Amino acid sequence: MKPLTPIQKRAERRNRNQSMVDMNLVSLIDVFTILIFFLMSNVGVETISSTRAVQLPESMSQKAPKETVMVVVTATEILVGGKPVASVAEALRVDGDLIQSLKAELDVEASREVILKENVGDSKRVTIMGDKDIPYRLLRKVMFTAARAGFTDVSFAVRQRFEP
Amino acid sequence: MPARRLKKTPAHLEITAFINLIVVLVPFLLSVSVFTHLAVIDLSLPAQSNDQVQKLDPNKPLKLEVIVRAKYVEVNDKHGGRIIDPPIPNLASGPDAKTLAAAIQQIKLKFPQHDDASVLAESEVPYDYLVQVMDAVRAGHQVQGAKVVSTDYFPNISVGDAPVIRQ
Repeated sequence: MKPLTPIQKRAERRNRNQSMVDMNLVSLIDVFTILIFFLMSNVGVETISSTRAVQLPESMSQKAPKETVMVVVTATEILVGGKPVASVAEALRVDGDLIQSLKAELDVEASREVILKENVGDSKRVTIMGDKDIPYRLLRKVMFTAARAGFTDVSFAVRQRFEP
Repeated sequence: MPARRLKKTPAHLEITAFINLIVVLVPFLLSVSVFTHLAVIDLSLPAQSNDQVQKLDPNKPLKLEVIVRAKYVEVNDKHGGRIIDPPIPNLASGPDAKTLAAAIQQIKLKFPQHDDASVLAESEVPYDYLVQVMDAVRAGHQVQGAKVVSTDYFPNISVGDAPVIRQ
């Protein structure tokens, strides 16, 4: 075997000393970094999260939701703050407009002390997240019960639509 | 004499930890983030005034009532009767929001100072219909180039029961 020339020796040495892993990750990191900033800026804007169980109706409204007491009316259940309080079938069967179990739960919510000063005005607000297929009859009962519990300002949560 | 240069090996960044972090963060944030934006429609409830007789305010000649029924949508003035006659029939997918919006726009042109309207619904009408009608009554939207410009029509909406039709 022929002895290596100095240049060949140097090349060999360099080869040996180089670390084996040499993946080109620059573009991947670029993409990920941009994605992270994008996602971070998106997260945290939402004050209320939508649940999959509720199909909200669509609207062009641009008013941002506030942090209020949330009454969720799915196709089968009525929930306050994520806790089921009454079933829809039961609520529809009730004569009159007052849903007792919902009223009780809303009374508890209403008696909560307001800690932050800027939330004082919002303490009497309630946001109704209703499934788009619930009848007006049920919605009326929920609104009536909320009004009885002292929540006089009602807003409907909707999914934002951007084209008319 | 040639200058002696320091032999530089190409700089290697130790970014493994950074990549680990990113790989964990990206799926997490993707799963957390919501791509449907939520909004709210504010209501002004008729503050339990069912038994009170509402007075006629001479400064507000119009009392717009939009009645959502299962088959059609009526646009009435509480004092003057029907504004749109015959009522607007519903489409298969819901209320005919386009026709209604055009009608509402005409009414707004006649009563520019007026902001209040009531949307009255029949008991079996789905919530979705109600929201669509409220949307048409609340504001109009025109597409101008790439932007959507919205004008308020009757933003103070209250919700109530539709009068029952007697057979």
